[in-house]
Amino acid sequence: MVRMFIAFLCAVIGATLVGTVIQTQFNLAELTALSVDIDMSTRMATILHDLLHFGPVFALILTPTLLIAFIVARVLSHLMPKFERAWFIIGGGVGLACAFSIVDSLAPMPTLIAANRTLLGFLLMSATGAFAGWIFDRLWHPQPQELAEELPQ
Amino acid sequence: MKQFIISLCLVLSTTSAALAGTARTEVVANNLNFPWSVAELPEGGFLVTERSGQLVFVSQTGDKHHVEIDLPDLYATAQAGLFEVMLTPDFMTSRELVLSYSCGTEKANNTCVIRAKLSLQPPYSLLDTQNIFTALPKKEGAAHYGARMTWLPDDTLLIALGDGFVYREQAQKLDNHLGKIVRITRNGEVPEDNPFTHSKAPEIFSYGHRNVQGLIYDSERDAIWQHEHGPKGGDELNKIVKGGNYGWPIATFGIDYTGAKVSPFRELPGIKPPLYQWTPSLAPAGLALYEGDLLVTHLAGKRLQRLRLVDEQWQLEGEYLQDLNARLRAVYVAPSGRILVLTDSAEGQLLQVSFED
Repeated sequence: MVRMFIAFLCAVIGATLVGTVIQTQFNLAELTALSVDIDMSTRMATILHDLLHFGPVFALILTPTLLIAFIVARVLSHLMPKFERAWFIIGGGVGLACAFSIVDSLAPMPTLIAANRTLLGFLLMSATGAFAGWIFDRLWHPQPQELAEELPQ
Repeated sequence: MKQFIISLCLVLSTTSAALAGTARTEVVANNLNFPWSVAELPEGGFLVTERSGQLVFVSQTGDKHHVEIDLPDLYATAQAGLFEVMLTPDFMTSRELVLSYSCGTEKANNTCVIRAKLSLQPPYSLLDTQNIFTALPKKEGAAHYGARMTWLPDDTLLIALGDGFVYREQAQKLDNHLGKIVRITRNGEVPEDNPFTHSKAPEIFSYGHRNVQGLIYDSERDAIWQHEHGPKGGDELNKIVKGGNYGWPIATFGIDYTGAKVSPFRELPGIKPPLYQWTPSLAPAGLALYEGDLLVTHLAGKRLQRLRLVDEQWQLEGEYLQDLNARLRAVYVAPSGRILVLTDSAEGQLLQVSFED
């Protein structure tokens, strides 16, 4: 149970970090496309700002989404255990894509997260859910070859 | 009528605590469905737009009648709908007025402006309706239309437009109307001395705006004052000049609703910085000139602010109407000198405000 909790926590934190950096790059890319010069220190300061301010909001979206997605993935892995890792990866990705769509339909603005305005941004941001699925299953049920020692029987 | 008399008898004695005075309000009309703008008629009474699409005549005694209006392409939902009604400078002789509204469909809409003639006497109707401007491109969603308007001394019309929320970068591009203030003649033609000449958007007067909700010409100072909504913080008061770039979204004091930076820059070379800015946002949604001061109503901020120009800087002079606890959609100083305020709700009110300095 503790292992599961830690794996889940790592999945949320990992996806939050990666997703935040992705959305920052999309926002800054839109500005550079408008001929705005952004030096490295400004870029890093923006990433740090977004980790502190956007990160918690994204984690708030990720947590319930991954909880539901991983329960579904667990059920599917019971049916087809051979594909457990894939179910968690797919579950995280599809779950987050659905969550974005639900949030956008409920929020007053058409698209809550600016990076999701383009298809590429939407796919990459959703992929952070898949990354979370990989982290979770990797830590919760590591495959034998992923461990230095053998799994307890 | 009974309701109006009761309301008038009550004469809300809302003496608001303020920085520099108090204000008194009287209810002119009740039960207006999300009223957006008001225009005082020279023969008495008011025209009020309701966002859902009705144009309402309110008599001086508070009686209401719907004005017959034909807008087949009206798109009314969320922030979209019927916006500003404004009389032409020669209304006394021409009986013409302009109306801004969102036109199109959920998938393809933007801000439109029509010019029409008001019939001579009640029950009023609009005649000879003619489209004089359509903001392009038509875009998806029902957010950020701008739609405030003002006349300039040369009888050209300024129309404020929004960025459509998800199209914010378009506010920096001069080939479209998103996030711009445009200038046209009363017939919808492009004045020869407009600053930009792109064939797709020769109407542009200034750019880099997010969602302009206040626009007024100050004849004494020969200045155009404007305010616009920032995202989370960064609501701006600007002095609009021909060809000016006001920065959205490359320079802003606000951040996105998610907490993310829209831009790392608050100021940039070539960008006109705001003369006054509201952080956190109060959502300014109306702008009027009163004895040289600016009156600003706020939606989220639920107050009327009075700003005064001191040493070339706008300073907060007083705050009023906070005890109404109402979102305030608009403020006007009518030709008669009356200060009119609209509250923003399904049971909105038209209020007359007087300061007790």
